Amino acid sequence: MKLQNKARQHWLVGSVLLTTLYLPSVAAEVKLNGFASIRGTSVSSDGGLAPYPNYEEGELSFKTESLFAIQASADLSEGLSATIQLYGDGANDFSVDARWAYISYQLNDTHRVSGGRFANPIFHQSEYEKVGYAHNFSRLPKAVYIGFDFSTIEGIALDSQYNIGDYNLQTKVLYGSWAGESFSAVTNNFVDFGLNKIMSGNATLAGDWWQLFGGVFAAEIDGAVIDSTTVFPLAAGGIAFATANGATAAQVADFKNRLSWDKKDALYWFSGFAVDYSNWLVDFEYVDYGVKDSTDAINTSWYLALGHRFDNVVVTIHTEDYAQKADFDFLNGVTHPVLLATGKGIHNAFAQREFDGVGLSVRYDFHPSAAFKADYFKGTDTRAAVGDYQMFSFGIDLVF
Amino acid sequence: MKNRVLILTAVLATLSSPLVLAEVAVIVHPSNNNTLDAATVAKIYLGREKSFADGQSVVPMSLAESTASSASFNDVVLKKSASQLKAYWSKLVFTGKGTPPKELASEDEMLKLVAGNPNLIGFVDASKVDASVKVAFKF
Repeated sequence: MKLQNKARQHWLVGSVLLTTLYLPSVAAEVKLNGFASIRGTSVSSDGGLAPYPNYEEGELSFKTESLFAIQASADLSEGLSATIQLYGDGANDFSVDARWAYISYQLNDTHRVSGGRFANPIFHQSEYEKVGYAHNFSRLPKAVYIGFDFSTIEGIALDSQYNIGDYNLQTKVLYGSWAGESFSAVTNNFVDFGLNKIMSGNATLAGDWWQLFGGVFAAEIDGAVIDSTTVFPLAAGGIAFATANGATAAQVADFKNRLSWDKKDALYWFSGFAVDYSNWLVDFEYVDYGVKDSTDAINTSWYLALGHRFDNVVVTIHTEDYAQKADFDFLNGVTHPVLLATGKGIHNAFAQREFDGVGLSVRYDFHPSAAFKADYFKGTDTRAAVGDYQMFSFGIDLVF
Repeated sequence: MKNRVLILTAVLATLSSPLVLAEVAVIVHPSNNNTLDAATVAKIYLGREKSFADGQSVVPMSLAESTASSASFNDVVLKKSASQLKAYWSKLVFTGKGTPPKELASEDEMLKLVAGNPNLIGFVDASKVDASVKVAFKF
């Protein structure tokens, strides 16, 4: 499955690259754009765990949050275009990856259809979360923008735009899939993981100084590996003990089916608002997601930011919260007490990790294409290896 | 004494000139009979409106951000600073949702292009306007 997806990705990237860069007979206009962030970051915790991996306690790293991207977009006229974005970041040793590779066709003034590899609009700002210049934070609040591995997917998308009186409505619907590795906070390891039949829809309604937005993202989990490497090993001891105490094979099979993630439905949704009025800025986003009817705990996270623009300086304070709520409904019908206790224990393990914090960010637009940013963040993580921590960073975000 | 006054006047005029925003004219092809106001033009330049009221497609053209006309247009019509505008377009460019208006190097080039294409809309220092284009409105 993974190999098939890799082959398809290579085909997609190759096709778009050829279309974009090799256009001998078509008078195509190729636009080059790019963005970059050079940021020095220091975290007081030596946990080195996601969402702040690769840090050494107290050391200033210019690698972890630095990144570069260059995007080529060929306008083939008559509404057809091909785009490829090459991206590399310090967290992955600046290994360059074709983050986007898609072809778009503008159907009319309202609708544009795209096919290929592109951003997964998981939450409101997910599509441009790596473009630091586009927002006022040093990094978008991690409680919401935690760094999902499936931020880039392959599929087909329809972007639409409507003017309703003085308001503007933008919508997006897509269908796609993803295969790769995902971080497990239970084992602190990356495991093979996939999302099939991704269906997503979102909308943003905007006036002159405000935005309301919301969206939903659903997929079928390809989780055979996470089941066999994480979920079932966690249950093995309990199952053995239950079997020794009279649990039948049918009870165990039913129990494992309840614990498993494979073929279950994942559901993500977000909602929020943004205000930019008289140089006062307010942003709020609430998200809720998880794998339904499994050991996964439902995540409920949010952030609230208040900022003020002083000419070319923006000062922002924000608070963020990442929480998980235990819900044992998936164990309804499990009658064997050992299996029931094992299921609750595993679910609690998946629900153990929470974090929150407050931050202060300053953005200074010192150049037409570059912004200097500095921030301080103080947070608490329930994982013992992380605990209370502080981080600060400074750096430059630029676009061209 | 007279020389000092002249020099002082010249220095003040030089220093204060960036603060005096020249009148800017939004221009279209002479055959364009659509009524345009600042709100509609803002939608066009922010990529939210793709056609004139009569259904004809519209292509906005901009001037280099270092020009006084561009600064005035961004401030008065788009109500955004150059940085805010660049951040706005960054969200669209890097998600494939739009591209900013093409930036022209000079107002002469703007006049020449708009005069030759009914789909274009542009803006120039109002003092540069000639009979080859139609002024939609000034500010």
